Amino acid sequence: MAAPAVALERKRKAPGMKPGRFRDVLECYLFLVPYLLLFSVFVIGPVTYGFYISLHDYHVLSTHRPFVGFANYAGALHDDLFLKSLINTAYFAVMVVPLGNLISLLLALGICKEGRLTTFFRSAFYLPVVISVAVVAVLWQWLYSTQWGLINYYLDAGAEALRQLPLLGAHIPAYTPIPWLSSPRFAMASIALLSMWWGAGGNMIVYLAGLQAIPETYYEAATLDGANSWQRFWSVTWPQLRPTLLFCLVLSVIGAFQVFGQVMVLTRGGPDFSTYTMVLYLYLTGFSLYKMGYACAVAYLLFLVVLVFTLLQFRLLSFKEVD
Amino acid sequence: MAVAARIRTRKRPLGAMVAREWPNLLAKAVLFVVALVMLAPLLWMISTSLKPESEIFLNVPRWIPWPVTFHNYQELANRAGEAPVFRWLFNSVFVATSHTMLVLFVDSLAAYAFARLTFPGREPLFMLVVATMIIPGQVTLIPVFLIIQKLHWFNTYQALIVPGAAGGFGVFLLRQFLLGIPRDLEEAAQLDGCGRWTIYWRVILPLARPALATLAIFSFLGSWNDFMWPLIITNEIAMRTLPIGITIFQGRYTTEYGVMMAAATVATLPVILAFLLFQKQIIKGIALSGLKA
Repeated sequence: MAAPAVALERKRKAPGMKPGRFRDVLECYLFLVPYLLLFSVFVIGPVTYGFYISLHDYHVLSTHRPFVGFANYAGALHDDLFLKSLINTAYFAVMVVPLGNLISLLLALGICKEGRLTTFFRSAFYLPVVISVAVVAVLWQWLYSTQWGLINYYLDAGAEALRQLPLLGAHIPAYTPIPWLSSPRFAMASIALLSMWWGAGGNMIVYLAGLQAIPETYYEAATLDGANSWQRFWSVTWPQLRPTLLFCLVLSVIGAFQVFGQVMVLTRGGPDFSTYTMVLYLYLTGFSLYKMGYACAVAYLLFLVVLVFTLLQFRLLSFKEVD
Repeated sequence: MAVAARIRTRKRPLGAMVAREWPNLLAKAVLFVVALVMLAPLLWMISTSLKPESEIFLNVPRWIPWPVTFHNYQELANRAGEAPVFRWLFNSVFVATSHTMLVLFVDSLAAYAFARLTFPGREPLFMLVVATMIIPGQVTLIPVFLIIQKLHWFNTYQALIVPGAAGGFGVFLLRQFLLGIPRDLEEAAQLDGCGRWTIYWRVILPLARPALATLAIFSFLGSWNDFMWPLIITNEIAMRTLPIGITIFQGRYTTEYGVMMAAATVATLPVILAFLLFQKQIIKGIALSGLKA
């Protein structure tokens, strides 16, 4: 809808533009100067500079910075800790993306019909999203506390209640508090759980927008055809929601691969490297070991992962339009 | 709930009503429980911050703090020497506000040019800005850090405020919005002899107010909550922002959950208030841009 307007303006302005043309263009660019200045110094410059650094053995404390080609990339791909961090991050994504999106979608379905409490529900579900990751982490550390944490308390109370049941109760063992963050078995899952609490509302809003964009007439037509609400969901909502679903899934994967704050504050990659993620690896090689060239190479590898999912999304979405 | 309204108007027998409406009621009940679960951690944070130590570590947790004590908040002030929470609060407010104003100014100028002016190079430049939006922030993290050091901006406010304003999101959002504004007013202003600057200032900015509000909220929240950038670009305790400060608390007063939750509450209440005040714009903005804050 923008294109015709632009063409129109060009036609209108074209005559009589010649004399002050240069001044005219200059004035247009003046509007862009502040942004372009920031954009080149803090985006374009760094993106190229970062790639340049990634090809060098750039240690902060040394002034000798030889060109090493793709040795940093190869080094990362041969480093067990990097591979472990890649696997850990993928494991995190596998936990958070499907389950988190399912929760977001269910929440959105729950509140997509306007009712008196809709605003309250929506705010309650969304509220965690606006909180800083540092607060989220410290708060969940308290909730996860093995001895005094709320979560272990309620699980204990729940198990105790089950043990009171006749017959079955006798077979349920007494509850032993789960060391949420200090056991390699649970730590990543604990990080995933708090991340889902933190992020569920964000995708919910996107799903909500997707649901509300489905024309009411489709549902009416389905109802006239005798579809019950279950059939209406699978024949109308689900196909109509596919682009939104895809969009959220891809963005969630990209977000999951950038998980950092939670593990930085809560576990620092531990216990036993079980929560060592890619960005934590990047951060620690860059800012604890000062191996900047290597860290930049890791950043570009991360970019590669993100790029694959972004291109996948474009591909799938354009295929959908062709259908 | 529509259920209640229906009872009043139609006066059907209660039994039939329950039979018809029970899935709806059940859904509401489930949603209510989920909402409580979602809010519980935050309520627990505030509750803990208002308790004396003796009430915090109990075998059976108590939700309502009684007697309410502001002792933990007092402690925040007492420890200002090693953990200056109020300085961090000031830093966070100052940085987030300045960042937001910078973003609004710079991005609205650029968005106006991209949406409303015709000049050679416009399309490729805009494509470049949009294309860089898919690059994750970690890619520029180290080079920008090195640039900041060369500028001697380490441990300064400008380092916290400026680099984050270079992102393409605001330009993109505002441009999309401006494209949707009819040109009549601008043309009228043009006929009246107004130049581009006057049009930008007197016509475009007032019309773009909803989009500017959305962008302002996102920029503020983003800057307020940012964790990684302030973590690497400051190391002086007085230059930290609240999110980093919180983790300093966590490192120092490992088991003093009352004080820690008080600090967490100080860092959270402003954003919760901002959210409750502006939630309409926030929700609309996310729906508009598909962005997660």
